[in-house]
Amino acid sequence: MSAGKILVVDDDPQIRRVMKATLVGHNYEVIEARTGEDALEKTSQEMPNLVLLDMNMPGMGGLETCRALRAGSDIPVIILSVRNSEKDKVAALDAGADDYVTKPFSIEELLARIRAALRRTSPEGGPQAFHSEDLEIDFQSRRVHAGGKDVRLTPKEFELLRCLVAHAGKPVTHREMLQAVWGPDYGDEPEYLRVFVNQLRKKIEANPAKPKYIVTEPWVGYRFAGSTEG
Amino acid sequence: MKALRFAASIAIVAGILALYRTALPVNNTTVALSLLLAILAISARWGLTEATVASVAAVLGFNYWFLPPVGTLTIQDPQNWVALLVFLATAVTASQLSARARRRAAEAEARRQEIERLYTLVQAMMLTGNARKTIREFVHTVVKVFGCVAAAFYYRPTEEFFRSGPESGAVSNHELLAAAEIDEVSMDPPRAVALAPVRLGGRPLGSMTLIGSLPSAQMVRAIVNLIAITIEKARALEEASHAEAARQGEVLKSALLDSLAHDIKTPLTSIKAAVTSLLGNSAAADNELLTIINEETDRLNQLAAEVIEMARIEAGKLHLEKQPVAVAELISGALADLAPAIQNRPVRVRVPDGLPAAEADHDFAMQVVKHFVENALKYTPEGSPIDISAELKNGKIVIGVADRGPGIEENERVRIFEKFYRGRRHRFDTKGTGMGLAIAKGIVEAHGERLWVESEPGQGAAFYFSLAASAGGRHT
Repeated sequence: MSAGKILVVDDDPQIRRVMKATLVGHNYEVIEARTGEDALEKTSQEMPNLVLLDMNMPGMGGLETCRALRAGSDIPVIILSVRNSEKDKVAALDAGADDYVTKPFSIEELLARIRAALRRTSPEGGPQAFHSEDLEIDFQSRRVHAGGKDVRLTPKEFELLRCLVAHAGKPVTHREMLQAVWGPDYGDEPEYLRVFVNQLRKKIEANPAKPKYIVTEPWVGYRFAGSTEG
Repeated sequence: MKALRFAASIAIVAGILALYRTALPVNNTTVALSLLLAILAISARWGLTEATVASVAAVLGFNYWFLPPVGTLTIQDPQNWVALLVFLATAVTASQLSARARRRAAEAEARRQEIERLYTLVQAMMLTGNARKTIREFVHTVVKVFGCVAAAFYYRPTEEFFRSGPESGAVSNHELLAAAEIDEVSMDPPRAVALAPVRLGGRPLGSMTLIGSLPSAQMVRAIVNLIAITIEKARALEEASHAEAARQGEVLKSALLDSLAHDIKTPLTSIKAAVTSLLGNSAAADNELLTIINEETDRLNQLAAEVIEMARIEAGKLHLEKQPVAVAELISGALADLAPAIQNRPVRVRVPDGLPAAEADHDFAMQVVKHFVENALKYTPEGSPIDISAELKNGKIVIGVADRGPGIEENERVRIFEKFYRGRRHRFDTKGTGMGLAIAKGIVEAHGERLWVESEPGQGAAFYFSLAASAGGRHT
């Protein structure tokens, strides 16, 4: 049985070839797309478990493709790019990517990132639910209801929320959050948290500029402030 | 010309007198009115002096031939004296009035002509995006349109003189220079020279002279105002087109560097992915060879990155996004990136509590720290310690990386920041591109800050760079 179906999107045929050979060797099923448009079509037809998306492609670029993918699904997306500035990483995460890998990369690193993106923490052990007047989270059925509306969270956003609620009332450090949500290889990517916390706040806070639930702990991390009502 | 007109005026008066005296006998009043009419016509046509001469001639002739006793210049009846004086006064007054009207008309005509010329001048000033070309054309056009003999212009911003017409030497460069300093238009009719300063909103642009038939001082003022505005417009246009060309050049350069980075890194990505994949399940014998390919791929990647970075710095293409940056985070970020290389090194980091944040571009400032640490790694033996420090000195944040290597000799301390320079003793035994410190220098200088090295040969070297302390006062 395959470990998962991965869609490789890159305009360079050599990169697609090497990815296919390697990923198939690691028991993944691989489908390919040459352009962003192609990727959107393949995603809806083939229902892959993960998308490896090149940032710099002619036509519909990686960021735009990522936003389009996000509009329709919460499939994990890892952006691959030759640029390694923080600005580019933040732009990719803002577009809805789960992770960002700089080219050239070693296959070990990429495989670790793929495993992290596919990983779903098991609901056992974590909190079951959270209820307050304007926020309801059901961790079993992965449903969130905020401000009177059902809210759709990406898997990483959901894991981040679960991590915070599990430690409700206590500050969680950047490193703890990164490792809980992305995996043990992470810890030095505070920009990931900035982007994802911002997105979470936009989805569940009544006023994201003055968060009531996800509070920043300066120089430490974040804290979920809702234990007393929960 | 004048004499001819006097003669003609007298002849006209004589003709009228002769006509009434011999051919058409009428009463004296009719004669007097006819003479008056002729005098008015003369004054309207030629002017006051001619009319006055005609008046005197008419009085004398009228008296001689028509007032009794006829044939003498004496007058018997006192009534006739009064009539004669009234006639003279009427003739002179009427002449004056008509001459004034004539002058007014002439002035109005001259003004109309000047305005027409000014308008022609405005229309002739095609707007070009070049101040010097505009001035040259303007000077030629002024001579042509105003019918001057010559004109000259002194353009102060470039210290140039523009002349048109062979007679323009009548006004020297020196005079033009002096005119630029004076506030008023100076008209010198005997020399047929007008000199005027050219200003725009009080800012001196130079001066202009017209030689030959001169327009009015007012018109000269209008002309210099016109050229001031025209020059300013040309300059604005020139600057705008320069800025646009420069911007397009920058965009192109930036796009070229981006695509170069992409084109080099794409094949490297395939190689790296392939070789690391093979490394994962290779036999021991192949392992060594694959490791070499892997390491050299990394080196090639590093080289490409640094060459492109250097090209960006040299093209002035570093886009800094300055913001308050925590110094401790800069250092820990750089060390995290270098983690495998510093595994076997004791690295000590000293950042005092309460050090203000630095005002810098996070990514680039981190690169400077990285290049400093990489440099220390390259030139010191395995296991030798590296000390990283940060402190506030004279309002600046100074970050330093010190090693215990062989140090740098005095005469090499400036050259090590040059591209491709390598220490004399290490020319052949060190990896890397030789661009790390040059890149660090480019980044620091783009921040408007400085970097330097202190060294005691044999004891080690310490590299420092400064960053502005953030005014926001966020503390690390």
